[in-house]
Amino acid sequence: MIAVYKMKTIPKDMELIKLNDIFFNKYTSEKLDEKAIDIIFKIDQSEMVDKFTIRSRFDGGILNIDKLSTGCKTVLNIMYNKDKIFDIRECGENALDVIYSLDNGNITCDYPLISFEMKKVKAVGKKGTIDINSYDELKEWWSDEN
Amino acid sequence: MKIKPIITNKIVTKHTSYDVDLDLTQNITFIVGDSGVGKSAVFSFLQELSAEDKRIKCFNYLDQNKGYKTAIKRTTSNGKIFVIDNADILLNDKMRQYIASDSVNQYIIIGRNPSGLLLQQDEIYELANEKKSGRTNFRLKKALE
Repeated sequence: MIAVYKMKTIPKDMELIKLNDIFFNKYTSEKLDEKAIDIIFKIDQSEMVDKFTIRSRFDGGILNIDKLSTGCKTVLNIMYNKDKIFDIRECGENALDVIYSLDNGNITCDYPLISFEMKKVKAVGKKGTIDINSYDELKEWWSDEN
Repeated sequence: MKIKPIITNKIVTKHTSYDVDLDLTQNITFIVGDSGVGKSAVFSFLQELSAEDKRIKCFNYLDQNKGYKTAIKRTTSNGKIFVIDNADILLNDKMRQYIASDSVNQYIIIGRNPSGLLLQQDEIYELANEKKSGRTNFRLKKALE
């Protein structure tokens, strides 16, 4: 399950990535393998042609992989960089659904941003780490300043 | 807060096989939607249009450290259409407050969180696309339709 961090409680030894586009273009794109194929199709409805190219969902044209949506890039950042925490504020509902279904990874946001399809997450706050398995409970935890 | 468009009620442009046809009914047009539906693609087409139409100024995450806030607030910026992508990163509460009360410029904002802009639910839009004869047409539709 993924770990959700409140912005104020991010450990000093973990790097927070807010600009998911840039991080993806510089680092994650080089790490992509076959695991990315389904994610890219699911979120952007685009076919991954090879490591650095996709086929556009709109006109079938071949595009550099930097043309993926920010939401899709954020999901891939989370999947391929498990030592870092990613801000998910730019993700659409479809990307959020995928994030909350990942086996692991670290996310944060200034405000609660939760998939209605969430099952279980690890919530990391000032008071320690707890497992949360309901939307309402996670929203309440995230909204709590403490 | 519903204010009629100050600068224009329509933006039309083309980029290869893409047509953009945006009917703007409010002074702030906030565009939300799933990831991957073409929001940033439309931004790039409007950015291209801005090379010809000097009223249009575009900002996205690449402008984060380039004084975009000052550029928007500058008095010589009057009469502009500001197109802002990655708004959840670029626009803080103070900037949203400024935009909500700006009576001399118009805005097209792409993001997820419209808070602070004093918008009502029916002022939030999504992109709709239609493919016809090898071309893809992007237009706006109300998010709550």
